[in-house]
Amino acid sequence: MSANDQQLRELLAHPSVWRGRSRATVETFSTGFAALDAGLPGGGWPRHGLVEILTPQPGVGELYLLLPVLAALSQATPARWCTWVCPPHEPYAPALRSQGVALDRMLVVRTHLPLWAHEQALRSGACGMALAWLPRVSPRAIRRLQLAAEQGRSFGVLFRSQQFAHLASPAMLRVSFEPVKEAGRQGARVTLIKSRGGSRAPIDLTWTAAAA
Amino acid sequence: MHPRSYRLKFPDLPGSSATPSVLRVRPASPPPKGPDSQAALKLEPRELWIAAHVPQLALLAVRSTDAVLALRRPDDSRPLVVVDQDQTQRVLDADEQARAGGVRAGMTLGAALAAVPDIEPRPRDMAREHELMQRLAALGAAFTPQVSIEAPDGLLLEIKPSLNLFGGLRELCRRLRDACRADPLLTQVGAEPRFTLAPTALAALAAARAGARCFITDPAVLPARLKPLPLAVLRWPEEHNARLLAMGVRTLGELMRLPRAGFARRFGPQMLADLDRLLGRRADPRARLKRRERYRGVRDLDHEIEDHERILQALAPLLDELESFLRARQRGITALQCRFHHYRAAPTRCTLRLAAPEAGAERLTRLLRERLASLELPEPVRRCELRGGALSARPLANEPLWSPGEHGHAAAGEMPALVEHLRARLGNEAVYGITPVSEHRPEHAWRVAEPALSANVGSAASLAAAPTMSSCDAATQRPLWLLHAPQELAAQRGRPQHHGRLELLAGPERIESGWWDGGDIQRDYYVAKDSAGSRLWIYRECDGDRRWFLHGIFA
Repeated sequence: MSANDQQLRELLAHPSVWRGRSRATVETFSTGFAALDAGLPGGGWPRHGLVEILTPQPGVGELYLLLPVLAALSQATPARWCTWVCPPHEPYAPALRSQGVALDRMLVVRTHLPLWAHEQALRSGACGMALAWLPRVSPRAIRRLQLAAEQGRSFGVLFRSQQFAHLASPAMLRVSFEPVKEAGRQGARVTLIKSRGGSRAPIDLTWTAAAA
Repeated sequence: MHPRSYRLKFPDLPGSSATPSVLRVRPASPPPKGPDSQAALKLEPRELWIAAHVPQLALLAVRSTDAVLALRRPDDSRPLVVVDQDQTQRVLDADEQARAGGVRAGMTLGAALAAVPDIEPRPRDMAREHELMQRLAALGAAFTPQVSIEAPDGLLLEIKPSLNLFGGLRELCRRLRDACRADPLLTQVGAEPRFTLAPTALAALAAARAGARCFITDPAVLPARLKPLPLAVLRWPEEHNARLLAMGVRTLGELMRLPRAGFARRFGPQMLADLDRLLGRRADPRARLKRRERYRGVRDLDHEIEDHERILQALAPLLDELESFLRARQRGITALQCRFHHYRAAPTRCTLRLAAPEAGAERLTRLLRERLASLELPEPVRRCELRGGALSARPLANEPLWSPGEHGHAAAGEMPALVEHLRARLGNEAVYGITPVSEHRPEHAWRVAEPALSANVGSAASLAAAPTMSSCDAATQRPLWLLHAPQELAAQRGRPQHHGRLELLAGPERIESGWWDGGDIQRDYYVAKDSAGSRLWIYRECDGDRRWFLHGIFA
């Protein structure tokens, strides 16, 4: 009996097995925000997989959510690359650098084939992180991206509009992002719409003075 | 010419044994004791030259052009004669039939026609001859960097420094001969170069032209071996040869016997210097052949093709050739141009740019496939041409032991590969890096940069080395997004509007700069918040209409 228990426990400890309310065991890295780390399964962004960030409109501060990771990855040894596929505006070099992001590891891709480019970046495994802004993307395409991220063992981020929040998505993690509207505080309220055992409650984040 | 120097410098003439001889005295001075010491005493040649002479190059060149262009019918059996293109119209070369009829090189065309009336005179094909010699030189370049072409049909290689690498003289000569026999172009043309080895370049060349067997490493025996060769192998001007012949000098041996001073007076010091070079008494430095540093390959197709995959197949032999061209030089290319020639339309060009120097045909094929997929051809392709860009050094890297993803090894995708892949499909400008510029004007404070793909660029170093002039210290706020062009905002009673009224959070920060280059700006920047919660970076012109503009978003 105990031998069976042991076997069962080993089986359940496998990373690809996830049981309802428990937390999945995934490789993660810290988001740079203690509150968010505590809420996410595994204590951070998944190392391999696709994350969807849903915002009411582009440019409400969603990039601040990723700045600590961007800075950490680009300054790690060996430094990892980050691709930006079709950003809505130009990533502004002086601001990024003042946030500690190493610019020589950033690669911007402007194309009419954003899906293809994002998939290539994820699948190649050459970059530690790949960001993409895709206005319209089908669940099948998201599934492709998710598989590409798993295959290439890279961290993919997809920025979408919040109007797609109610639609099903094969992404590993879905995060809804609301900017804080009250004066005097720079931050956001983040809700995990889909996660493998993450926190359900909204998480309030405040950008540090340097970031704001 | 001073008589004393004549005695010292021309010591080994036969019949002049009474004069002190440098070459003879030196081995004799320490008494030889055994076989070992004798070997040590043997004079080491300073240089060793291999000469290759292609007999009847002019004829071979004309014949091979005939074969390619089908100028001559196969049943045409008229004797072929190659004629120089200058005024004299002298016969350069003649085939066996013409020779049998009495045509000799050096005859005028008229004399040749008189001897054999039905000969077919042909102008010389210099370009083809040059191409063949270049090919031969390329083969020789695998053995030594000191390669020079002795126009029109001789090649010189200095191989002394390469002997150890190739395992000795015999082995090197064998490999050189094998390389010539294996070369498709040379065998197709029927060129059979004759090789000779001698301590001086001119001696090797003379022996090769004479068709003599010559494999000398000892400078001391050189004069004796050169003696029986006819005078013509030196290829001196015709009038010199005629005068020497009139003096009864027919061979090199008889030439060497002439007194130096008299020879110099009659034929000039240049000829004497030439003779000294032949015998190794005078240094004979040769200019190294500058090798063609770009690759260019052309392939004519049997029939017109349109399909991309078939075009790629047609390019495969050229790509293989390119790979061996690059590997022989241990170089890579960063640009590759394909030209597809059509029947009527102008050639379609397609350029592939690589992030890192590359030499492998497999990788280039893969990238070309992506590139061709987005290429539109106006007409079917009749002819493909491949041109490699400038050669650049290719850093040699170690292959990892594990394949990507194996044994916990990270998926070791290479960033240069990804960049090339993206660029091949999306175009060169679609993929770029960004870098800050030390400049106060926000739109000039960054620029597009080539991605820093070389692995040794440390990101921490670049952070420290980046310009620290202004605009990005923590005190001043800069947005993460900058709009491509400032967007004008509506204003109501002097307050800016953007999806409702904007609330100003910080500012103004005045930026006034750029009067020197015409891009003058005078702006007051503010941080504002709109009703949706986005923080915006807006500015107001300090002069003119004092309009409001949106310039960035704190995303």
